[in-house]
Amino acid sequence: MSVLSIQNLSKNYGKIQALDNLSLEINKGEVYGILGPNGSGKTTTLGVILGILHADSGSYKWFNGQYGTAHRKRIGAILETPNFYPYKTAEDNLSIISHIKGVKTDNYDKLLNLVNLAHRKKSAFRTYSLGMKQRLAIAATMIGDPDVIIFDEPTNGLDPQGIAEVRQTLTEIAASGKTVIMASHILDEVEKICSHVAIIKNGKLLATGSVGSILSDEVTIELQAEDMNGLRSLIDSVPWMNKSKMITDRLEAQMDNNHTVAEINKLAFDRGITLTHLVARKQRLEEEFLEITK
Amino acid sequence: MNVVQLLTLEWKKFRNNSVFNLFGIMFLVTFPTAIFIGKEIELPAMVFNNSDFFTFPNNWEWMAYSGNWLVFFFLGFIMMNMVTSEIGFKTLRQNIITGMTRNDFFKSKLYVAIALSVGATLYYMACTLLIGFFHNDPYSLENAFAEPAIIGRFFLMCMGYLSFALLIGFVIRRSGVAIFTYTCYILFIELMLKWMVLSKVFDGSSMINYCPMNAIEDLTPLPMWKKMENVPVKDIDFAFLLTPTQASVTSSVYILLFIGLAYWHFMKKDI
Repeated sequence: MSVLSIQNLSKNYGKIQALDNLSLEINKGEVYGILGPNGSGKTTTLGVILGILHADSGSYKWFNGQYGTAHRKRIGAILETPNFYPYKTAEDNLSIISHIKGVKTDNYDKLLNLVNLAHRKKSAFRTYSLGMKQRLAIAATMIGDPDVIIFDEPTNGLDPQGIAEVRQTLTEIAASGKTVIMASHILDEVEKICSHVAIIKNGKLLATGSVGSILSDEVTIELQAEDMNGLRSLIDSVPWMNKSKMITDRLEAQMDNNHTVAEINKLAFDRGITLTHLVARKQRLEEEFLEITK
Repeated sequence: MNVVQLLTLEWKKFRNNSVFNLFGIMFLVTFPTAIFIGKEIELPAMVFNNSDFFTFPNNWEWMAYSGNWLVFFFLGFIMMNMVTSEIGFKTLRQNIITGMTRNDFFKSKLYVAIALSVGATLYYMACTLLIGFFHNDPYSLENAFAEPAIIGRFFLMCMGYLSFALLIGFVIRRSGVAIFTYTCYILFIELMLKWMVLSKVFDGSSMINYCPMNAIEDLTPLPMWKKMENVPVKDIDFAFLLTPTQASVTSSVYILLFIGLAYWHFMKKDI
């Protein structure tokens, strides 16, 4: 079932084209990462689909139009920064969100426990650290048990402990079966949490699909030997090895996935080259992202 | 959301807000007490008597005139703060993201303007009746409500300032700049426009009295003008004030215009 359908969305800020005919389809239960370098249009996309920015052209539809204009009440979202009334406590701020969503609840302990903030529920928001503010924002997205949760750069500005805590919470939310949409330029974060990705640059969609389909089938091989020139010419002569390049004192190349590391080892041995380093690793999202956005 | 839900939401948002509380209390305290300056000042005995400030029906006009300044200042600032602080704290965009429609958000602020105006008008009535009660002997209801139209004009005056504050808040967006613009326009800019530009355009006719803030001020003018109209002044062939009806109609048109412009601007703007 389609949760969000975006059709040919375009938006300009003066001469800058922030979104250029962007189309996306997000289905129920997907953990969808929107990847792109800074200024690629991730936040603008979220701003438009959350109703705070007007698109110049194109359209989008939430839940196949099932909830009409009240669709945002079925969504929990943080855009850029946690935005709360600074003079209000965590409880009061959550109560305001409940009021807007039309949810009747007076007990926020469960939500605040989820993000480890129950002990500060009576403190004014302005007294919170950035990590606590971010965690409160995550708690706020869960009010009313929404169908979709949207995070925009959820670990921005956090210290390592804050990043670890927020990632843990996000992983738990993603594992609960909710549809999650997450914009980020931190590829490691997306790779660990998301099932699907869209890669955008300059407001254009460059690639989309499951994380597995975005990553190529090739395996990256790292090699090292005493005779690096001989090793390089050997690898360049093998038809199922390609894109070889020197990374400091090691050779790196892509191998078709229907071959094995043992075959390379044997080839080198037969040529009289003794390998001192041989590692195979799957293509990482970061490498694919850099390749796509090049 | 309905009116009650929207006003409850606004109360939840602002009941701990320092600007809302401080300016609200200042309004509540100064409104009934400012009139007592009237006991101290010396007035030209031919025209005025100090008891005019406190006895029916004149005290309605004096209280309304004093309320004119206080509503412009305290309630106007509260109204602007309730719009610009939501933009500054980015809670406006969070409210929309959370599920409020832009239409509901605008209505919530408009309802606050109406609620503040109704509240201020009821407070005006209560204070005026109470002050009159202690200064009129004998006290008669007929005398107390001799000029009921001024109550309606007081409400319109409140709506005039608050709808203007609403417009300035939504258009200017930044708290400090909005307060500066609002204050400067009402105290200086319109006066300069009126006397330096429009008086030349309209060749000194009383058309210049139809400027927005002038019309709103003329709803509850300084009562002195009323008496001065009977004093012949040589070489002046000019109406200083709009009549109550002219002021009411003109102000109503401006109120609708301010609300309409604020709504149009808010609905088309990215937030």
